[in-house]
Amino acid sequence: MKPVKIAMMGMTHGHTRKYYQTLLENKKLDWVASCAEDEDAKKVYALYKTGVPCYLDPDAMLAEHPDIEAIVLASANDRHFEQMKFCAERGIHILSMKIPTFDMKEYDAMIELVEKAGVVCQIELEMHYNPVVKRLQKLIAEGALGKILSVQATNITLSPVWAFPWQGVPEASYGSRVPLAPGDRRFRGGALCDHPHIFDLIRWLTGSDFANVFAQVAPNLRPDIEVEDMLLAAGKMKDGTAFLFDPSWSRMEERLKVPAPGWEVFPKRMEVNVTITGEKGMIQCDCFGPNVYHNGAPNDRYTVQYTYFDEWIGLIDEFVDCIRNRKQPRINLKWHRHTIETMNACYDSIATGKAIAI
Amino acid sequence: MIKQMNSALDFLRDKYGVGPGSIAKGPECFQLVLPDGNKVDLLPHRVERRFVELKKIIDGKTLEGISTFRFAAFRPKGDLRKMLAAELDLAAFLSGSDFSSLFATGDGQRVCNVIFRLVNGMSGCIECSSGLPAGTPLLDRHEIIARRGVASDRVVDTQVPQHSIYLWNEDGTATYTDVDTELFGLSDEAIWTVRAAFAVLSNPSLAASWNQAAIVSLRQAEAALKSALSGTPVTF
Repeated sequence: MKPVKIAMMGMTHGHTRKYYQTLLENKKLDWVASCAEDEDAKKVYALYKTGVPCYLDPDAMLAEHPDIEAIVLASANDRHFEQMKFCAERGIHILSMKIPTFDMKEYDAMIELVEKAGVVCQIELEMHYNPVVKRLQKLIAEGALGKILSVQATNITLSPVWAFPWQGVPEASYGSRVPLAPGDRRFRGGALCDHPHIFDLIRWLTGSDFANVFAQVAPNLRPDIEVEDMLLAAGKMKDGTAFLFDPSWSRMEERLKVPAPGWEVFPKRMEVNVTITGEKGMIQCDCFGPNVYHNGAPNDRYTVQYTYFDEWIGLIDEFVDCIRNRKQPRINLKWHRHTIETMNACYDSIATGKAIAI
Repeated sequence: MIKQMNSALDFLRDKYGVGPGSIAKGPECFQLVLPDGNKVDLLPHRVERRFVELKKIIDGKTLEGISTFRFAAFRPKGDLRKMLAAELDLAAFLSGSDFSSLFATGDGQRVCNVIFRLVNGMSGCIECSSGLPAGTPLLDRHEIIARRGVASDRVVDTQVPQHSIYLWNEDGTATYTDVDTELFGLSDEAIWTVRAAFAVLSNPSLAASWNQAAIVSLRQAEAALKSALSGTPVTF
């Protein structure tokens, strides 16, 4: 198979650095160029010494590398539409970050653009390629629990806003400046926008879509940011499955400008744990473990060091397969629309104090 | 079990010179029966050592700026209403605040997920299920998340309770977790029931507040189960 000529664009998303190793090592890919959003992003990119040239102008990048077939849009949420348009108009396949946009009109325009151009557009929901999730899906599919009654899941992390400031800017993260609720000084665009994974995962596990959702914000752990950092969401799927999600930034961090060892204040920087009760029993699963632990440099704090991040390997494998074999990715724009719609409903619930029918 | 608990209570009363009283099974929970015939609903979680320590961490300001309580309790074939009541009362006890509202989802019988708001502005959730197979020990977790610090009764990066002793031999695997020297050998449920009765005998002013709290938490649990079926938030 001819390697896919691939590029990255934006370089401001928190997941940007997670692609470097896979893009360099996967022989089905030829990573030819990157294009940073600005000088700051270019400087951070340079720290990782990938050896791949970095531009500041997408047209200049394409002029130098006209054979680029696909681009990873590793950018802020408010940049996605313009960048998707740029790619679609040039017949370039797209790997989008986890939130294409929260503006549903813009979202539908994205679908139209991609369909008209006939390009692959895969959404980065990397938990699908996590080995624990794979086992969980297999166990559920084999009927280990019988009919699912309830799913509880955490998707909790430290806050990335100090390293990736756009995630604390309502316009850049949510797409516009919308107050959380009357009298609340905070705006949409925080932890919820960072954590769509569990909203997607339950749809795969149950084979059902959301019926309703209730969400509630808690007092911020970081009173100096403009967006929500602590929230809970609960509701029901159309098949009756109850759920309770915690998508908070509930793990405190050092305010580093570039992610590095010592980022954590709480020992474990990130957790996706799932508890499922079914008619035949229960499952608890930790999607990132077992791990190793240390209390060494730089802060001598007890710290959880993760032992695997296979997600980006599987994700890229699927992207290449879809490009070369003209397949539709599992997480495509149309599939993901309902997840985004439900996350918007969470914000509506926070604003109104009511459960929202989807 | 009641005979064993009363024997343990007598031992403590005798040792510490505390007045008379006995444990009996009440309509909703174990009760302390006083010589004058008055009865006190026992709230064993309020004297369970891990929760006492969590409360000390809160009251002593080891945690600053509490935002969220994250509780979970999973049992085999338990009474969901009573399970919820205990967890709700624990949140009220630890926070020192009443509830202002809650929303719940579930089937009303085996599972119930609750999101609650306290009058003091703190938020929280309870994951509750009686879906474990018979014979499975209780699985629970109580985590308190604050601007400064997180407190929990579970080890970071673990999913199940740890034990003090793990024994592997030709008979298989056994675990032991003993947390009370004076009441060594009793089950956890018996230990905390005896300790609760002893707490009331030692501090009679607890009687009225515990009776009130027992009623309130059961009503709130019932409200949560109704919310789970109606899909409507409840304001208190």
